[in-house]
Amino acid sequence: MAVTTYSGAEQYNFDVVKKFAIMSLVWAVVGMFVGVYIASELAWPFLNFDSPYFSFGRFRPVHTSAVIFGFGGSALFATSYYVVQRTCQTRLVSDGMASFTFWGWQTVIVLAALSYVMGYSQGREYAEMEWPIDLLVEVVWVSYLIVYVGTIMRRKQPHIYVANWFYLSFILATALLHTFNNLAMPVDLFSMKSYSLFSGTQDAMTQWWYGHNAVGFFLTAAFLGMMYYFVPKQAGRPIYSYRLSIVHFWALSFMYMWVGGHHLHWTALPDWTSSLAAAFSILLLMPSWGGMINGIMTLSGAWDKMRTDPVMRFMIVALSFYGMSTFEGPMMSLKEVNALSHYTDWTVGHVHSGALGWVAMISFGSLYHMIPKLWETKIYSGRLVEWHFWLATIGIVLYIVAMWISGITQGLMWRAFDEFGNLQYSFVESVAAMVPFYAMRAIGGMFFLTGASMMAFNMFMTIRQGKRENAALEARLAAKMAQA
Amino acid sequence: MSEQKLQSQTVQTTGHAWDGDLQEYNNPLPAWWVYTFYATVIFSIVYWIIYPSWPIGKNWIGGVSKITYVNSEGETKTHSWNTRALLLKDLNKAAVEQKPYFDKVSAMSYEQIAKDPEMNGFILSSGKTLFADNCAPCHQAGGQGMVGFFPNLTDDDWLYGGSFDAIHTTLTGGRRGYMPSFNEVLEGGQIDQLANYVASLSGIQHDGAKAAAGNALFHGNAAACYVCHGSDAKGRKEIGAPNLTDNIWLWADVPATEAQGKVAVIRGVIANGLNKGVMPAWADRLSPEQIKVLTVYVHELGGGQ
Repeated sequence: MAVTTYSGAEQYNFDVVKKFAIMSLVWAVVGMFVGVYIASELAWPFLNFDSPYFSFGRFRPVHTSAVIFGFGGSALFATSYYVVQRTCQTRLVSDGMASFTFWGWQTVIVLAALSYVMGYSQGREYAEMEWPIDLLVEVVWVSYLIVYVGTIMRRKQPHIYVANWFYLSFILATALLHTFNNLAMPVDLFSMKSYSLFSGTQDAMTQWWYGHNAVGFFLTAAFLGMMYYFVPKQAGRPIYSYRLSIVHFWALSFMYMWVGGHHLHWTALPDWTSSLAAAFSILLLMPSWGGMINGIMTLSGAWDKMRTDPVMRFMIVALSFYGMSTFEGPMMSLKEVNALSHYTDWTVGHVHSGALGWVAMISFGSLYHMIPKLWETKIYSGRLVEWHFWLATIGIVLYIVAMWISGITQGLMWRAFDEFGNLQYSFVESVAAMVPFYAMRAIGGMFFLTGASMMAFNMFMTIRQGKRENAALEARLAAKMAQA
Repeated sequence: MSEQKLQSQTVQTTGHAWDGDLQEYNNPLPAWWVYTFYATVIFSIVYWIIYPSWPIGKNWIGGVSKITYVNSEGETKTHSWNTRALLLKDLNKAAVEQKPYFDKVSAMSYEQIAKDPEMNGFILSSGKTLFADNCAPCHQAGGQGMVGFFPNLTDDDWLYGGSFDAIHTTLTGGRRGYMPSFNEVLEGGQIDQLANYVASLSGIQHDGAKAAAGNALFHGNAAACYVCHGSDAKGRKEIGAPNLTDNIWLWADVPATEAQGKVAVIRGVIANGLNKGVMPAWADRLSPEQIKVLTVYVHELGGGQ
């Protein structure tokens, strides 16, 4: 009487994984759309419509929160719950708490976006949420930690797989960073306004200790966890080096904590602090590359998959962009390079080579691998995956090249003196010089958004196909049962 | 590389397997990776020796790199590398290059500056930056102004005069344009007549009968417009009253372009007056030399008299 095909679904809690995977795609499209919109505002300012609700200042945190916490965060929740269950061979420790992390996290994103549009912001980059939302994040995050650690603790495997180290370090570090960066005193209990517990340079340093480690642990370590499961799975080959994974994991975790000060070169931050941050950024180069090497070398011996498997291609391009932006970052951290790059679009380009090239591409690859498995079917359209890959890759290249040119142009224009010792350009002239590159960047973003929308459609059809196949199977089974 | 490849094929996995087929080879760390990491360690140590780095108590290691600069008291100082000294050094370098020109600006008359080709180059370079940083937010990048808000500086119509001295006075002390409201002095019909008369002065389409009545009001004592705008309606620069006969409009062009609309806007100005024409005073914000440079720059924008 027992129907054995359902044992997989009972062994693991895939319900919460599915929900997070779907929301990850939803936030990808929403967040990237807002990104394209604000990029277009810079190129074509009439899009502001002279309304505060449409202004760049309010939409920008909507974009960053929707893509980082909505898309990236949901993808991390989904993949981490998937990976921890499969590599520990056990079900999540609590379905109720896992479900709470899903609804809590989605509420956070929605509340954050609404509050930004209404004009509430802490003014802390990537932590703009005001204190009531911060408290909700705290509760959700601690639940996440409990579910994750609890699940690892009741694993049926003697060893903890490397992907779980990275996910766990991300959860722990994010809890720490979020708590300390958001220490603030509300004006009163019924006010959205609060004041930071720190002031002046110390406040800035706290913010960038958070800001760069959000890059380090949220956008790097966590997605390396994703990489360590999905790349070997998709390639069907073992990870290149266990030893390298240990060494680079600890080196990465240790080095990242020091480098936040490089966001504050040439400011009121003491010079010694900024030198330390610059040097640690250089020290971080090889630990970062450890992950890239381990990912790419895993594929050695199966390079033909680059040609035949578009999902693999997403992953390898992600690793390549990861290598490129973790090289560019340390270079920009040197004081003399930073003197040119600071406050320019080069920084924006760098962030996006990491965010689009690494974070989004590895997530796309992993979701393409995971979603068909979750719904027990095949990808609806391989051609759409191909299209997505090329649109995304071309979009990134357009974006980064536009920002390189515009950033270096800005840097050079701002520091140019003429033969009389006067500044050669006024600020507004440098703004006018940016217009073509802002248009190019917006177009790059449109390419990327189009690709992501194709993926959302493709995955929607995949899920529908999976459900139909399962329903048909069930109907056949039921018919057989009735005959018997 | 080929040796490594061979190795990775013969190398053993760690012996663990997760989720069916997930395994790990136990390859050694790539040698180039290890040596490059050592190189970054050496680089960091050198960086810390050059630049200020580790804190010790309330002090910190200053670093071997030194900067020699002139401080605000004119004393030459040498200090270990720091951003403040570096900024002073850069500013001083620019100031040294600018100084001979600013000295000449102080010493020369406006006419001399305007005729000297070398000084003209300096005025264009320095004035452009000064104008862009201080004046362009209102008068726009090219000095073309904005109808309804800020006067155009490139034409030869000047509210307070376009001579060097007049421009200098405007820049130094600022200006405050004011036109009283006539709502309580005149009746609606009379304001309409005046508006038609003012339109007629610049050849804008108008009602002839109303304009004739407006003419009487303009020059009579009921409205007494002539007191400020002059009997010929050509304005009085000493009080900033504009010329009404040249068809150049600061307020009355917005947003109307049709003659009907223009008369309506003029009617509004007469009825409600104007009290928003504020030019700030720059004497406390810019140096006398900078104001002099801007005076020549604005004069040369096109309409200097």
